[in-house]
Amino acid sequence: MAYNKPIPRKGQHNQPFWDGAKEGKLMLPRCTLCGKVHWYPRLICPSCHSTDLEWIEGSGEGRLHTFAVQHRAFGGWAEEVPYVTAYIDLNEGDRMMTVLRGVDPNKPEDIKIGAKVKVEFDQADDDTHIPFWRVVEE
Amino acid sequence: MAATNLSMGAAIVGAAESNEIGYPEERGDKVTSLQHHIQAIKNVSEYTGIPISDIEGVFSTGWSVELAEHLGIRPHYIDTTSVGGCSFEIHVHHALAAIASGIIDVAVVSHGEAGWSYRGAGGGGGGRGEMSPGAEMTMAYGTFGAPSQYAHAMVRHMHQYGSTVEDFAHISVVTREWAQKNPRALMFADASQAEVKLGERTPNPFGGPITVQDVLDARIIAWPLTLFHCCLVTDHGGAVIVARPEIARSLRTSPVWIAGAGESMAHQNMLEMDDFTATSAARSSAIAYEMAGLGPQDMDMAMIYDSFTVTAAITAEMLGLAPRGQGYRLWKDGDAAPGGRLPINTNGGGLSFNHSGMYGMQLLVEAYRQLSGTAEDGINGIEGKQTDSHTCVVNGTGGTLSTTGTLVLVSDD
Repeated sequence: MAYNKPIPRKGQHNQPFWDGAKEGKLMLPRCTLCGKVHWYPRLICPSCHSTDLEWIEGSGEGRLHTFAVQHRAFGGWAEEVPYVTAYIDLNEGDRMMTVLRGVDPNKPEDIKIGAKVKVEFDQADDDTHIPFWRVVEE
Repeated sequence: MAATNLSMGAAIVGAAESNEIGYPEERGDKVTSLQHHIQAIKNVSEYTGIPISDIEGVFSTGWSVELAEHLGIRPHYIDTTSVGGCSFEIHVHHALAAIASGIIDVAVVSHGEAGWSYRGAGGGGGGRGEMSPGAEMTMAYGTFGAPSQYAHAMVRHMHQYGSTVEDFAHISVVTREWAQKNPRALMFADASQAEVKLGERTPNPFGGPITVQDVLDARIIAWPLTLFHCCLVTDHGGAVIVARPEIARSLRTSPVWIAGAGESMAHQNMLEMDDFTATSAARSSAIAYEMAGLGPQDMDMAMIYDSFTVTAAITAEMLGLAPRGQGYRLWKDGDAAPGGRLPINTNGGGLSFNHSGMYGMQLLVEAYRQLSGTAEDGINGIEGKQTDSHTCVVNGTGGTLSTTGTLVLVSDD
């Protein structure tokens, strides 16, 4: 079935991320001056304001920072309620948003903040492999 | 550089709502956002005795030029700051600066939003063609509207501080108690209370008293937020006039002085929210308290934007009214309730009074009513002064816990 949910827009500032995603790599922007990884991709380092940025391949691992269970949705997502949305602390620093896998949305009490998560990619169209995160065993 | 202290450099000299708040559509009217603006400005002009033609500054969320044209006035100070529901507290801050620096003498801050009748039409602000780089990286993940995002903050609060859904539910219950004292509140009474004088409002099947269990059992929107943890979506307008002290003292209305004002921001996209249990209200209130020479311990009451129960709880912590992680206690322990030590959201709040989308104006209207002691004067038909307060901290929150404006307001003794 064709992917029926919103597909992210792309631009020069984030194209390397989408190129990496096609190959199953989680590419992250890093400042060459202060060395900090930032997310989301942008035009300038939000820590030291250098514009000399590079892309590195991330580990694809992180920890669950917080979550919510969505019971009210529209479009393609309406078919999937309830589902868990979450923010992920990347091992390399900073944070990503996701729809979280490997958890039971009907038992939110059992979802552990701090749980180890790994990234996986779903192909949405020829140019877009969307990262999703899954809770994995320690 | 140390700023000039603007404290008491201007006063709010009157406040009013628009006429047809709530769900006017259900009474056969479809009132536009512009109508709400114009009704509120007309009402506050009549209330204060300040002619509309005396207004020199217009402050609104993007409407200022249209309002001035519609009113046939030509202001020489124009502010269209549109940063969500805290815009109006920020407008008052800006109006204070404009007046205290001598640029203008009289300003109107206006709000009109047919949030229910024109639901789905999209809010103010934004409007540029390109997408924010932050939104590009969150749009894939199935969040829809404010509750879907704010729920993440509540979960983090529960994790970090051991708070529970029940703890937050007390905020809904206590706020509903206040609404039951305000005949203009949407949730004033339920449909079975036929003996209650309802005026022009429609009895509401969701209205009347609620219990903690009702909050827990309500329809789930985004766990842990049920429907009763979430603010209303209604039509609403309001306006306040801010004036130079000499003018404020010459009017027939009671001035409410702007002792302190501050604004700040933390992020636009929740992706950039460092601490999900904190907002920039810590900073905006620190600025406002310092300007006022007052602290949280000096406040008789508080008006706190309660888009969700979690918003009210976290904000109370940021304002220094409760320890970190224990904001909900003000409601659970009864401090914030009618008759309590620190009344909060005495109009019934965004949870149970009205909430058009950007609620911050209604915080100002209610703070003015309470501090000026004019609640019983029947501004727009409101009867019954609820508190005996001379100091009030007002805090608006905009976006997704993004932006805040704090005011410290005081009345003459």
